[in-house]
Amino acid sequence: MSTDSNLNEAEAREQLLDLAADFYDQFADGDVPRMRIPTRTKTNIEYDEDEKVWVYGDRSSTRSAKTVSGAQKLLKATYTIDFLADQLDQDRSSTLRELYYLSESWDLDEAQFNSQDESNNLIEDLEIVSEVKREDFHMRPEESGAKVMGPLLLREQTRRGDREIHCQDDVGQGGYQIPNNPDTIEFLDNDADFVLAVETGGMRDRLVENGFDDDYNSIVVHLGGQPARATRRLIKRMRDELDLPVVVFADGDPWSYRIYGSVAYGSIKSAHLSEYLATPDAQYIGIRPQDIVEYDLPTDPLSDSDVNALESELEDPRFQTEFWEEQIELQLDIEKKAEQQSLAARGLDFVTDTYLPERLDEMGVL
Amino acid sequence: MTSLQSELGEEEGIAEELAESQRAISIAEFFEKNKHMLGFDSGARGLVTAVKEAVDNALDACEEAGIPPDIYVEIQEQGDYYRLIVEDNGPGITKEQIPKIFGKLLYGSRFHKREQNRGQQGIGISAAVLYSQLTSGKPAEITSRTQGGDEAQYFELIIDTDQNEPEIDVEETTTWERPHGTRIEMEMEANMRARQQLHDYIKHTAVVNPHARIELREPNDHFKYERATDQLPAETEEIRPHPHGVELGTLIKMLDATDSYSVSGFMQGEFTRVGQKTADDVIDSLKDRHYGRELSWQPPEAKKKRDYKAFLEQAVSNKGADATSQFATNVADVVSGRERVSHQDVVEIVDNVADGVEDDHDVTFGSTVRENAVDAVWGLVTGTAEAEDEDAPQEYRAADLYRMIDEATTSRKDDAGIKGLADRIAAKLVREDGHRDRFTHDELTEFVRKSAEDTEEYDDVTFGETARENVLERLWAIGRTVPDDAPDVSEIAGDRDTASELLEAMRETDIIAPPTDCLAPITDELVEAGLKKEFDADFYAASTRDASVHGGDPFIVEAGLAYGGDVEAENKATVMRFANRVPLVYQRGACATTDVVKSINWRNYGLDQPGGSGIPNGPVVIMVHVASTNVPFTSESKDAVANVPEMESEIELAIREAARDLKSYLNKRRSMQQRREKQNKLATILPEMAEKLTEVTGRDELVIDDSIARIMNNVLVERKVEDGTVKIVVENNSDTNADVDVTDIVSAEPQDTNGAQVVEMDGEWFVKWSETVSSGEEATLEYSVEGDAEFDITVDGVEEELLTVNA
Repeated sequence: MSTDSNLNEAEAREQLLDLAADFYDQFADGDVPRMRIPTRTKTNIEYDEDEKVWVYGDRSSTRSAKTVSGAQKLLKATYTIDFLADQLDQDRSSTLRELYYLSESWDLDEAQFNSQDESNNLIEDLEIVSEVKREDFHMRPEESGAKVMGPLLLREQTRRGDREIHCQDDVGQGGYQIPNNPDTIEFLDNDADFVLAVETGGMRDRLVENGFDDDYNSIVVHLGGQPARATRRLIKRMRDELDLPVVVFADGDPWSYRIYGSVAYGSIKSAHLSEYLATPDAQYIGIRPQDIVEYDLPTDPLSDSDVNALESELEDPRFQTEFWEEQIELQLDIEKKAEQQSLAARGLDFVTDTYLPERLDEMGVL
Repeated sequence: MTSLQSELGEEEGIAEELAESQRAISIAEFFEKNKHMLGFDSGARGLVTAVKEAVDNALDACEEAGIPPDIYVEIQEQGDYYRLIVEDNGPGITKEQIPKIFGKLLYGSRFHKREQNRGQQGIGISAAVLYSQLTSGKPAEITSRTQGGDEAQYFELIIDTDQNEPEIDVEETTTWERPHGTRIEMEMEANMRARQQLHDYIKHTAVVNPHARIELREPNDHFKYERATDQLPAETEEIRPHPHGVELGTLIKMLDATDSYSVSGFMQGEFTRVGQKTADDVIDSLKDRHYGRELSWQPPEAKKKRDYKAFLEQAVSNKGADATSQFATNVADVVSGRERVSHQDVVEIVDNVADGVEDDHDVTFGSTVRENAVDAVWGLVTGTAEAEDEDAPQEYRAADLYRMIDEATTSRKDDAGIKGLADRIAAKLVREDGHRDRFTHDELTEFVRKSAEDTEEYDDVTFGETARENVLERLWAIGRTVPDDAPDVSEIAGDRDTASELLEAMRETDIIAPPTDCLAPITDELVEAGLKKEFDADFYAASTRDASVHGGDPFIVEAGLAYGGDVEAENKATVMRFANRVPLVYQRGACATTDVVKSINWRNYGLDQPGGSGIPNGPVVIMVHVASTNVPFTSESKDAVANVPEMESEIELAIREAARDLKSYLNKRRSMQQRREKQNKLATILPEMAEKLTEVTGRDELVIDDSIARIMNNVLVERKVEDGTVKIVVENNSDTNADVDVTDIVSAEPQDTNGAQVVEMDGEWFVKWSETVSSGEEATLEYSVEGDAEFDITVDGVEEELLTVNA
């Protein structure tokens, strides 16, 4: 997969049309049209030693016109290819949600999407099979919501031309908004020691208010829940191009560990892009279950779904490391979880004055 | 006291007074008061019953004469009354018989016959006449012309209910356009409220009598049911009762009535399916029951041969040394060579040897000598010979029994227990008989039971039910049927117990099922034909069971199903019940047939059945026909078949047999429907996809038939024409073999057809080619044709849903 180079519109279009041509040939030969796609479950991801990321394994499934549902998927794929080819032709872009609504305008009922999940999945399928990234189809997610604050000077290609932006001096309190395709960004200069990816907006605001980015020369990236591809891509580029260590700061619960997982190891749904999106040496700073004990943080009890999620993580190949097994088992043992903001129980400055410096020190980042 | 006296006297007076008013009632009078028993309980029903009785009679008459029935029924409104006319083309009735058949209850030819007929008691039509005269006061009018008769007979008659005799009002000859046949006209108080039942009756009659033509004319309507086959029902034979189906009372009656002296003669003469061999089996079984069996014992071993000799020589005196010695040696040889001997065996051996010695030596072995010899040998075998040891007889038997019980009881019991049981049984045998060891099964059962209980009590060894049965079985097996003559017929007839033993013997003996030539089943093909004639359904199934027996009468059950098409789908299934080809339209709920239909889980057969029991829903007709020499009805009106277990089980099996076919049809239909749905869906999706692909890629238009054939696992037939060579390729994408018949109609003469058959017709050539193509294989027919030819292909042998023709 051509993950490192950006395809231009013509190339992306060509690769999509090749896929359509494959279907055409299958029909012309009297064969059953079909499309092979790797199985996108956690049982079919494996560790790529060279890239140190998790990628899809050998198991694959075939969407074949032999079944009505398979035929429907292929029909939708064909319609979507047609739409994307047109879009690239006209150098327009659209969002995933727009694609879903747009399908309503297709004259054939069978080609319309029934849900946005369906259209999202189809775009992922096309990404994998055509080896063209979504971004290169000019498909945008709704909003990344992710922002960057820190001593970093960059240049972004915008529709109104190139802009140079300093992510502290040129931005407001909200920080620099990551564009949908971060490959349009060029890093110019920085004065940073590390990248701190923060799960919640509240904590990001606290860090900014306390001047953590200034005091510790840190680029604070707001993940906003499960991070968008653009956010993950930008983090990876900062790691690779600026050679900055990356740490992830999230809540102390199983869902947050998955956020870390998708930053560091790649997500299951986009494992085909792991090389492009994952930052394998990103480290998890906290909240660790160990912190809950050591700092005696205010907690909530684990719900049943938390316990299930933790147990499922124990079986997830991405989490089968000594650190995670120890932490998850500890959490199952204490049956408690804690939010980032629970640190406020020890004072508003505790996180910036004590917790993070101590942890960064321990981890050898500072 | 006096008052009491007078009261007593008065009481006697009452009895006498009562006696004066007590008198016999005629059957006609009885039914006059009990019309409902014959199905004439209301005006509505009376009309249906009258039609039914008249039509049944007409059909029977035609069939007996081998005439395809042609029956005309007319109902006319006559003010408050209805006039019923039923006409047939039967053989006609002689002048003498007409009044009796129509004017006398319980007059008929069929009551005493074991033969399948619609009517049985001879009540039906005369009851209809009775009903008409009671309600309208008018006589029945009967016209009949016998085959070959110049003129027809015309009668007007009523039934004299006091005497149960016909009363003839008019008797004359008349002319009639029918060459032969019978016509009856009756007027009765009635109404047409039961019109539905009437129609059901006529329609159902048409279903089960596909050989009959039936016409029904009503005041406002007219129905015709045409003949579906010329094949008349097989002629039925009268049969004797089957031994498995008689009851004790009947048996005694038969024993009293028979001319036979011996049981063997009686059995063979009075019953069906009994020959010499079966009679012998029955007699042996009877003797075992009547006399018991003689137990046989292992003779003492060969080394005791000398004892036999010595004993026998002692028993035989004055016969000369040679003869005595030969006799003794031979008997000893034979006895010790046997595995077991019973008393009768010993008698037989002694007799045989004695006869031989008599011949060789010219001496006579009289009966006393023979008896002595038998006693001597039997004494040795059973131990009585050891005079000094009075326990010997019991010990001998016990030793033999010990080995048997040891073998008979699976888990090795405690030795003392087995010995205890053997001793106790032996003691009882010796005590109870001691001479010939003759015991009945019941006696032996009792010995074993008692001995086992005692053994349990005293030796603390348990012999359970199974162990006891095994022991008893072996004990009975060493018993020999006695040589005595079986009791003769008069002896059995005179003794209820013996008669019951004979009945038991008959029931226990294996006897082949009764012959079925007394029955005329419709046969499954004609059941199907009948259903097809009257119901426009998608699917028909029918089954005819083999004959079974109930109460000595053979019967056959047939079932038919019709499904789909124009059969009404909204309501519950239609259940049609028939007995001896007569539709049963009343008392549905009381009928064994309905019960069986309700008890079947129709969901198993793909039908909708709310709650999992009851009559199924949907477009189904369920037909059941019971044919028997004596259909067990619940009442005289013959509306419902009684719940006889043998019959219920056969009805169930017959229905299930037909239902299985229905199930596979429905399954197939369902999967075909799914295929069709899939095909329809794909037939919209795939062409659209192909069109879009053509648009996106900017290439030529796509032909996707081959892909579709592969997707549908279809049989794909394709033609390719190149330089005058035609190739027809049959590709089987399904997972079963396909037998394909291809006919290609070509407008020019084909050459080199490679074995395909070519027929020319009006300038067109029919190329016919049949091939079996295995799953996943393809076959090719090649032929050449000159110039521009046109082709028109048809493919048979593969269902439409499974076939894609691309030629």
